[in-house]
Amino acid sequence: MFDAHAVTLSPFETLILNVSLLMVIGWSMWRAERTLSPGSDLLILALMGVFAVSGRVLLDPLPNIQPVTVIVLLAGIHFGSSRAVLLATSVALLSNVFLGHGIWTLYQAAGWSLVGISGSLLSDKMHVSGIISPSRVAALSVVAAFCFDWVVSLSALHSFGAELLPAYILSGIPFDMLHASGNVVFAAWLSTPLSEMMSRHSRSRTVVMRTVTTPT
Amino acid sequence: MSPLISFLLFLVISSLVIGNSLDRDNRLKVLSVYVLAMLLLSSSMISTEWARMTSELVDDETDHHHGLPDVWEGKQVVCFNFPGENAPGEYDDGRHHIDSDGTKFLVDSNWNGSGACVGGFSGFEIGIELLDEAVIASGGDFAYNYTQFSFGIQIDSIGGIEPCDVAPCSEDFSSGAWWGINHNGQLAPVGISDLPLENDSVITLTIVTW
Repeated sequence: MFDAHAVTLSPFETLILNVSLLMVIGWSMWRAERTLSPGSDLLILALMGVFAVSGRVLLDPLPNIQPVTVIVLLAGIHFGSSRAVLLATSVALLSNVFLGHGIWTLYQAAGWSLVGISGSLLSDKMHVSGIISPSRVAALSVVAAFCFDWVVSLSALHSFGAELLPAYILSGIPFDMLHASGNVVFAAWLSTPLSEMMSRHSRSRTVVMRTVTTPT
Repeated sequence: MSPLISFLLFLVISSLVIGNSLDRDNRLKVLSVYVLAMLLLSSSMISTEWARMTSELVDDETDHHHGLPDVWEGKQVVCFNFPGENAPGEYDDGRHHIDSDGTKFLVDSNWNGSGACVGGFSGFEIGIELLDEAVIASGGDFAYNYTQFSFGIQIDSIGGIEPCDVAPCSEDFSSGAWWGINHNGQLAPVGISDLPLENDSVITLTIVTW
């Protein structure tokens, strides 16, 4: 009998496969967004959630590199705190269905929620002349990477005392750097297209209304 | 210069050179991919170097790794202890630490004695195999001479230093000194050529007097 699935991929081949799958999901999401009517903010949040969960799961072979932080940050910028927290918590929970769920999920949800809230609070600073600034988003995403990782590190307090926490955080700095540099890549490449998609559906857009006078 | 510092300097300089050759629109995109790729390719080296830079000495006196860097927990270690400042060459100002790849990374100046520990090894089953690998990792600084007996080998000198060079030895053998072997804090019951090891063994060669 043939075993059609008896193919073993090397780590690099697996990474190529996963990145390809993520690109297909991203392209499909972009196409699907075109068919949505403007103002479909919850639907676009769902699409972002699918992309974030897929990205986190598929990029799992790369240490601490995933698009969730930047997507939640952009969601905070465009949709505000409450929707960013909804997205952050959902992505943490759903991705951990694949990667492993435990007490750390709570801290990840809290960490990404803080990222989304900070994006909401600093929304005005992330724009230059009304257009999203990838370099500013990248700078904020670097700070967000370290803050998120340190919040998640607090989950280690369930295993050992607070006196070991500084050494624990210090030993994780190389992984924080990888998270930060991964965020810069996602911010550089995705912040403009994702912001265009999100801003088309953001209900917080300013609508200028003028009285129309009809000529008599 | 530390490999980590050298790498970061190279990364910054090369990023500046590449960044200057790019137009403004593509600079962030290209540079971010370049930096991420460099960090990923070097992640193993960065993690190792960082662990060495931030390592602390184990202060649990019940642990036979007491006084050794915590990055060696669960690994095999060989220590060459010399009384006072009698260690050879550069090792006379405390206890030095040399990783299994030959990298020197931490000096314990408060140590009561001098010399070095060479550690981070795994998988060795007999003491002499681990000792030979430690000598290689030290660059030959702790090469030893020995005498072969029917019951095993006796170490005569380490790093060119014989026990009677640094401890009182009388011609009538009323006093003398020899290289003793401790295994996990206990006097080894057999010679180093027959000494069975554990996954986290610490062998200590130290000058013992009578």
